[in-house]
Amino acid sequence: MLHKKLRLLLVLALMVTGVFAVQAQDDEDDPDAVTFQSTQFNIVEESEIAREILSAFEGAINFVTTEEGPLIDILIAEGQSGSGSTDLVGALHGTFPSLVRNDLLFDLTELTAELDEMYNIADAFIELGLMGTTDYQYYVPWMQATYVMAANVEALEYLPEGADLNALTWDELAEWGVNMAEADGENRLGLPVAGLFNRFMQGYLFPSFTGGMVTEFRSEAAVEMMEFMRDVLWPVVNQESINYAFMNEPLLSGEVWVAFDHVARLGPAFAAMVDGDTDKEFVAFPAPAGPAGRGFMPVVVGLGIPFTAPNPDGAEELLAYMLSPEVQLQVLSELNFFPVVDGVDFDALPENVALIAAAVSAQSAAEDALPALLPVGLGDRGGEINQIFNNVFSRIVQGGEDIQAVLDSEGENLSNLLSETGAACWPPDAPSEGACEVN
Amino acid sequence: MLFLRKSLPPDQRWALFRNWVRRMGVYALAILISLWILLPIWLIATMAFSTRSNVRSFPKPFFPDPISTDTMQFFLNAEGILSSTGNSLIVAFATLALSTIIATPAGYAISRFVFRGRDAVRLGILSVRAFPIVILAVPLAVTFINLGIYDSLWSLALLHTALVLPTSVLVIASVFASVPYELEEAAQVFGCTPTMAFFRVVMPLTLPGIAAAGIFAFVTSWNEVFAAVLLTLTNRTLPAQILFSLDKASDPFKFAGGFFMLVPSIIFIFFIRRYLFSMWGQVTK
Repeated sequence: MLHKKLRLLLVLALMVTGVFAVQAQDDEDDPDAVTFQSTQFNIVEESEIAREILSAFEGAINFVTTEEGPLIDILIAEGQSGSGSTDLVGALHGTFPSLVRNDLLFDLTELTAELDEMYNIADAFIELGLMGTTDYQYYVPWMQATYVMAANVEALEYLPEGADLNALTWDELAEWGVNMAEADGENRLGLPVAGLFNRFMQGYLFPSFTGGMVTEFRSEAAVEMMEFMRDVLWPVVNQESINYAFMNEPLLSGEVWVAFDHVARLGPAFAAMVDGDTDKEFVAFPAPAGPAGRGFMPVVVGLGIPFTAPNPDGAEELLAYMLSPEVQLQVLSELNFFPVVDGVDFDALPENVALIAAAVSAQSAAEDALPALLPVGLGDRGGEINQIFNNVFSRIVQGGEDIQAVLDSEGENLSNLLSETGAACWPPDAPSEGACEVN
Repeated sequence: MLFLRKSLPPDQRWALFRNWVRRMGVYALAILISLWILLPIWLIATMAFSTRSNVRSFPKPFFPDPISTDTMQFFLNAEGILSSTGNSLIVAFATLALSTIIATPAGYAISRFVFRGRDAVRLGILSVRAFPIVILAVPLAVTFINLGIYDSLWSLALLHTALVLPTSVLVIASVFASVPYELEEAAQVFGCTPTMAFFRVVMPLTLPGIAAAGIFAFVTSWNEVFAAVLLTLTNRTLPAQILFSLDKASDPFKFAGGFFMLVPSIIFIFFIRRYLFSMWGQVTK
């Protein structure tokens, strides 16, 4: 009896496996297909949309989504063995230093010049793709994203008097939070502490208060900033924030009325509003400004071609295709990543995307705008700087440790990290000769 | 409830009552433990079949109302989900077969024969587990590319076999150790060759334990992500295909994906559960 069952299972297993094995043989890979590995759009919903957009390309594409770690490992392995299967790499600016250091990528200067002539790519991003060199284009900018604020319209009546939604200050945001808490009895301000919170600290809080991301890390201004965070802002933030990774969810459930997050993570809330999936209404607006300016973080995604690409010509064609204004518009309207080229017809945007796009351009065009780039040049130790910024928050605000002591000890870690990697200062900190130093 | 019967003498009724309470206590505990396991599974299953707005609402309803297969359908139709499920099955069964074929003789040898360096072999087998696969990532991928077996399900099964072998060998060795050698001797006395004695006497007794080691191999391979992501590109297994995407997906998809990952293992466990008991029964002897 026992063994009969086992036998049945074995037969079943063999049948299932056989069926799949036969099927797997059926769809043999097209040798001319372009294999495109991307660390972006690796969420099921997003990769489906990305596949849909890519399917209009005339050639066949293997769109493979991955994570930064495995991507770097695989590309290094392909480089070492001299034969590869990856044709095109799509990754954040911060992933490229590891690829550059291992010398894995073609120089795309000519292609970039051609595409720049056709579509006019944003100069600042082309320069980023040079990775600090003057004449070696490691990647062509593909798209950009950033972080903004979103609010339920219910919250707008509690906006402090005289405050302009498109030119908020951190103090006004805190006051807004107090007003909502007093009127409603609940803290309605939400932060993605379980999500991309390190970007909130690196690109928004620190630059707005200290004018830098790393050089002023343990300055007087940083102490005042953390006092504000601990004593003024955090007490009016919804305490569930420590569990929030995607702010669209608490916004949609109504737990939170005002939130900060990545545009792609706020996007679903606006899409639900336009599709009529929710009765709530949302507005998007720029992040607040502090004494040093309106810190914000543009995130740049680039496309590179490895030396080991079996089909580099196909990769170039696909790259050019993805920079065309039509595709850039599609990516913006469906995936919430913003164009890097001119000539994208914003009028054609669906309402939900237009709302966010307006906030993004208001943020980058603000008079006091202070763009803060993702850390550059830390290589595979990029995760450590995120940890340092997360530690500052958790040790001071959640752990109740002394502010100056925490900033000093984490500042020491930061200083070691910078000197050990030799990373030069990146915006908003002033350029440095040699490794960036924490004052 | 016998203790309620008035015809019985009071002390007997008291004893019956105490007995009843004890039994109820055991039942209550068993129910509590089952709920601890079953409630999350139930939550995942109901949420996987709820509308998106219901997934977000709180409190969660006990039954999905209305039942919606939207997220599940989208999930199943998403490119690569079904084929990667097939890939996962192929790799898991190949790992099961390979590891059993290799680990059974190895385990038998370790438990039966005294040979020079036997302890060193045992230690060597265990020490394989001490190397984190992460530091081997690049050399592994380079080797696989150079051998021309990169991005293939069978090479992934090879690696998974290597990963589970140490544990499989030791589990199977302890299973053989629990069958007295005298039984084999007795069989040989009655005219069996050593091989026949193994297949006629030892094998039937140890089959449940070997099957348990096989389950372990299957489950390990089914859940393994790192090697799967590293060694495959276009032929992804299910965990490699969806694991990091689930981590970042919205709640409805987390539930749909979680449910989809759960179902095959539940079916598998259903068939195999008796062997699972024998794994503990035999191995802990």
